[in-house]
Amino acid sequence: MATEPLRVVLAKIGLDGHDRGIKVVARALRDAGMHVIYAGLWQTPEDVVRTVADEDADWLGVSLLSGAHMTLVPRLLQLLREANMPDVRVLVGGIIPEEDIPKLLQMGVARVFGPGTPLPEIVDFLKQSSGAAHA
Amino acid sequence: MLDELLAGLKKKDRRSLARLITLAARGEPILLGPSARQARVLAVTGSGGVGKSTLIGKLIEQFRALEKSVAVLACDPESPLTGGALLGDRFRMPAKPDDTGVYIRSLAARSGQQAVAEHLETIVRLCEQFGFEIILIETAGAGQGDTDVRNLADVVVLLLQPETGDDLQWEKAGLLEVADVIVVHKADLPGVEQAVAQIQGMVELSGRAVAVLPVSSKTGQGLAELARKLTELPLRTRSASDHTQLLQLLKAEVERRYRNIDRSGALATIVQGKATNEERVQAILEHLV
Repeated sequence: MATEPLRVVLAKIGLDGHDRGIKVVARALRDAGMHVIYAGLWQTPEDVVRTVADEDADWLGVSLLSGAHMTLVPRLLQLLREANMPDVRVLVGGIIPEEDIPKLLQMGVARVFGPGTPLPEIVDFLKQSSGAAHA
Repeated sequence: MLDELLAGLKKKDRRSLARLITLAARGEPILLGPSARQARVLAVTGSGGVGKSTLIGKLIEQFRALEKSVAVLACDPESPLTGGALLGDRFRMPAKPDDTGVYIRSLAARSGQQAVAEHLETIVRLCEQFGFEIILIETAGAGQGDTDVRNLADVVVLLLQPETGDDLQWEKAGLLEVADVIVVHKADLPGVEQAVAQIQGMVELSGRAVAVLPVSSKTGQGLAELARKLTELPLRTRSASDHTQLLQLLKAEVERRYRNIDRSGALATIVQGKATNEERVQAILEHLV
């Protein structure tokens, strides 16, 4: 069987309305042959976990520009654990202060991508960390 | 693993359902027994931007108010060049995360071939076995060439909107003739009365019993009536003695399998050394069954 496209859920959690960045990422992942499920703005961690479960996603990318990441991301990770989805890996993007990045990684986030990250870097990271079974 | 997932499906485990749909979409054969009861399968089709996802979002609310459980299978096109897809339908379908009576799944439809995802029939049956009472299929748009979905759905809803060209536009083959219900969406816009009148005229000429309903997802006009209509229309019988339908399904299945072996590159090996087309057909058939 040929390689299967990765299923990636992208969502904005929290109350900021800046979705330009996540839409650019969505397009890059689509062009790299992935199936991107765009869940949109103003999502709660509960909404996102439901989406990831129902969509049987391999990856979840959340974008926050509101500064609420140290509240919302731990909540999200906890809900994912409670929902018994240890295989789903989480990316965080947006405005994340340098000193918070190690803390997020410590909690279980796979990678944090800040503004100005070249798109191929995100694509390569997803492909390399997903193993040979996926495109 | 498959047995475990199917056992999970019986126990109404959503993760098992989600996983099985992924496998089915990849073309893994999944054998399902007869379902305890028949789900009502509704297909919503129409051009891009006409409001299919928005209307489905509103219909979910209507069906939930009638205490019906709903599964939505939302198809969006896949790129023929990269195989990638941006599935952006559920974004317009607000669902409460604690409402277990709603399941929304995004699926990629192979571009240029069909308006719905491959293996959609198996996916529909999986949702039916899980126990969903209403299954809503959103096509990837187009509006033309959606005949596949007609074989699968009990009711096909076609969405049109005002100001989309003159009445000749409605006459184009394939558009009106697949529909059981025609919704003139965005009925809050000007020109809706004229559009409804024109479409009703076309429908009368065709002699088919098709309801034409003006609906606005923005104001809520016509939504309750549409939902009621959709729950009342008769289900298509799925009897095994319906030879026409069986033949159609068989044809589609053979075609699908043929495409799969062609795509995988195995076709050349199968027909190797076969001099005539008849021999090639025999060899392919033997391989297929």
